[in-house]
Amino acid sequence: MSDFEKKWSEACTQPQTLKAYRKYVEQWEEQIGSFLEFDPLRSLEADIPQGPLTGIPFAVKDNIAVKNYKLTCGSKMLEHLVSPYTATAVKNLQKAGAVMVGKTNLDEFGMGSSTDNSALKQTNNPWDTERVAGGSSGGSAAAVAAGLVPFALGSDTGGSVRQPASFCGVYGLKPTYGVVSRYGLTAYASSLEVIGVVARTTSMCKTVFEAMKGKDPMDHTSMDHTPSGKEVKTVGVLKIEEGALNPEVKASYDSTVERLKKAGYEIIEIELPTLEYVVPAYYTIATAEASANLARYNGIRYGHAPVYAENPTDLMRKSRHEGFGDEVKLRVLLGTYVLRSGFQDQYYVKAQKIRTAIRNDVERWYDKADILMMPVFPTPAFHHGSSDLDTFQQKQADLYTCTANLVGHPALSVPSTMENGLPVGVQFMAPPFEEDRLFQVSSVLEKEFQAPEAPGYHTDWS
Amino acid sequence: MYQSFIGLEIHIHLDAETKAFCGCKAHFGDEENTNVCPVCMGFPGVLPTLNEKAIQMSYTVARALNCKLSPNTKFERKNYFYPDMPKNYQISQFAEPVGRDGYIDIEIGDSIKRVRIHDVHFEEDAGKMIHAGDMSLLDYNRAGYPLLEIVTEPDLVIGEDAEAFLKSFRRLVRYLGVCDGNMEEGSMRCDANVSINLKGAGLGEKVEIKNLNSSRFVRKALNYEIERQSGMMDEGKAVVQETRLWNENRDQSEPMRKKEDANDYRYFPEPDLPPFRPSEEFMQDVENSLCEMPLVRKQRLMNSYGLSSDQAEYIHEEKYMADFFEQAVFSGAEAVQVYSWLSSDVKKLLNRTGLSLEDCPLSAERLAKLISMIGDGQISGKIAKKVLDYIFDEDKDPETICNEKKLVQISDPTAIGKIVEDVLAAHAQVVEDIKAGDARQMGFLVGQVMKASGGNAAPPVVQSVLKEKVLG
Repeated sequence: MSDFEKKWSEACTQPQTLKAYRKYVEQWEEQIGSFLEFDPLRSLEADIPQGPLTGIPFAVKDNIAVKNYKLTCGSKMLEHLVSPYTATAVKNLQKAGAVMVGKTNLDEFGMGSSTDNSALKQTNNPWDTERVAGGSSGGSAAAVAAGLVPFALGSDTGGSVRQPASFCGVYGLKPTYGVVSRYGLTAYASSLEVIGVVARTTSMCKTVFEAMKGKDPMDHTSMDHTPSGKEVKTVGVLKIEEGALNPEVKASYDSTVERLKKAGYEIIEIELPTLEYVVPAYYTIATAEASANLARYNGIRYGHAPVYAENPTDLMRKSRHEGFGDEVKLRVLLGTYVLRSGFQDQYYVKAQKIRTAIRNDVERWYDKADILMMPVFPTPAFHHGSSDLDTFQQKQADLYTCTANLVGHPALSVPSTMENGLPVGVQFMAPPFEEDRLFQVSSVLEKEFQAPEAPGYHTDWS
Repeated sequence: MYQSFIGLEIHIHLDAETKAFCGCKAHFGDEENTNVCPVCMGFPGVLPTLNEKAIQMSYTVARALNCKLSPNTKFERKNYFYPDMPKNYQISQFAEPVGRDGYIDIEIGDSIKRVRIHDVHFEEDAGKMIHAGDMSLLDYNRAGYPLLEIVTEPDLVIGEDAEAFLKSFRRLVRYLGVCDGNMEEGSMRCDANVSINLKGAGLGEKVEIKNLNSSRFVRKALNYEIERQSGMMDEGKAVVQETRLWNENRDQSEPMRKKEDANDYRYFPEPDLPPFRPSEEFMQDVENSLCEMPLVRKQRLMNSYGLSSDQAEYIHEEKYMADFFEQAVFSGAEAVQVYSWLSSDVKKLLNRTGLSLEDCPLSAERLAKLISMIGDGQISGKIAKKVLDYIFDEDKDPETICNEKKLVQISDPTAIGKIVEDVLAAHAQVVEDIKAGDARQMGFLVGQVMKASGGNAAPPVVQSVLKEKVLG
């Protein structure tokens, strides 16, 4: 364990540090509101096993099930639901000794890029509380950036781990699809999403990923992790069209390329002509799957139910009308629309064909480059209330992150620079199972630039 | 004039112990909402895990129905809202079902008809909604039961055909051991579609009929529907595509929904379940789980054992009975004798005790022994019936029972001679009458001797000894 990890491992296990730690969290929470539920004691009742993460506290995005904790998904629909079971990824971390301390805020059911779509709470960016922490795993990223936990779990369907990590100045890993069990992750778009890690350091990110990965009998789409062990020599850097990125983000991007060169990597320029189809294909597939995945919320077995209903159909209709927010309704409607019989070829089937084309477009570069680099998001953290970026623009801006979800490859968001007081990150993408290549390059860059400490950040609980 | 076309959609519960996609018990009749877990209740974040035993049973049925088996069977989501369906989509199959393009030969009356099978696909059942006054109650025990749907081509013509098909199909799934075929408990369900048209004009507008809870209702509902549609055609009215519900209390079908109100199920591939690719070993297990098909067996029972069609029909109804029959014959009993016992005395005892042939104390060997004891003259047919009772009561071999109960037939003339002498001594007057020519009294003496022997004396021997002693 590094000094950083050792310090954290004592935060909850010593009574005096636990008290100081809780106070620190409380103070920060008044400003950022990253947690929907914070209660380390419930997890401390059980014995903590010895392992690579013994005693280290972590937070879990509130769309991932942890037994006896709430599972709100940031929705009024599930505001009072307490999970009857624990997700496999969380179980694996608990077996490795990590201590679950609370559930973090998110865009309702993971649908959004700002966490402003949470029906339950507003989460602010620790660097500037007027700005969003990103989304949908905004609570997890804000909590890690403010030093409330050294790592947190998020879920990444279209960039929901990487984009908030970039906005908050921390590391954000989206693993290879299937390498981390989805059992316990509330489904939004099943074929795209995976549980990911937001962490303060590359090594923390790697340790957590190693501890939670692996084939799970409860998830038939999960598989064993079989990396090649290849050393990264060449980085394929995505050519950026003029005006595609905000100037600060472009400057940050360029300086990362310089650092990579200085570190001895061979740089080649790559192009992805399919990039313009990523967002439409992504939203077609994601909303189609969402329309089925969210159909289960009908107020009958659990969740929000109306005060009065005429009959079972009326009950389901009212529950959904009252329980879901606008963005969720929009996506469910869109998904229902693209799956109508007679229109599937035009939308859903076509989107799947585009998905294959995107995969081919990306994979052809792996002959020439060991790893690919591209932006995370065209802007730094934007202001609350969609003033700088409306919700449609936010969706369009998902193009760089959605790519990895459509092709299923691993990707990591790495803090690269501070621009006008805001952190900016950069993204690396690798072939399936090659998370290690991401960590190699990230560790090299981390020597030059570590996750920045937001004003007020500290980890001294003594 | 008119031609009718009937196709069936049959659902069977696969007898696979656990549900299709979770480890919950799939058991009928348990307390409401006890066989449930986060997976089959559709909690957020759960995923389906495929019940391989149920999939294997599905392949077995498809194989027995001579289907082309899929080397790569796929799952789809079928989307519609219903309160008893936890996820509000059903995991089913559409593009690549377990099997397709099969057929089954069934006996209708004296002829054999080949009915084509469109496809056989695997899916999950929904729960149950019970309306009670102004409340609706839900029981999710059945939600997620492994279900197999068999869709036939419209090859049947009248209600009687459909009834015969269902009986044959029920026998088949029971032979295969994949379903008990109980329509009353809902482990086998049937929807039917029927269309009529002028002879030679092809299929007509299809009407689907639901709520057919027995093969008798299937027959009645289809014949009613053919009549109804014929009547409409006679009057020059057009039959519209719709779904109707059979009302068993009124013996009529009633409209349920029109074509334009039909659900758009928005099928799309189930992202949580990869396609299932049966291994060689899996397919070998499927082959091994097949057995001789009921119709083939019936024909063999007639050809090899000389049973009549009716006799073979009775014996082959249940696979266990047919096995029992053949085992008894193999043990030395005569085929028609075995049939007679099974269809009369054994059947009566089974009815009286409420046992099935499978779990009653009578084995094929015991029945064969019993029959051979009659043949050898050891016991009379009458005693044999008593022995059968004792087998059921005491679960012992027939010889043991005969020894313990002294039920052995007395056929030794010397032993019988002693009894006869006692009887003659007691009825001297009767003997005199017979000697004087009143032969009718002989029967009285036989009765007396039988009575004195406790019913164990062999009647032919009694008669010959009496004759000798009285008439000399």
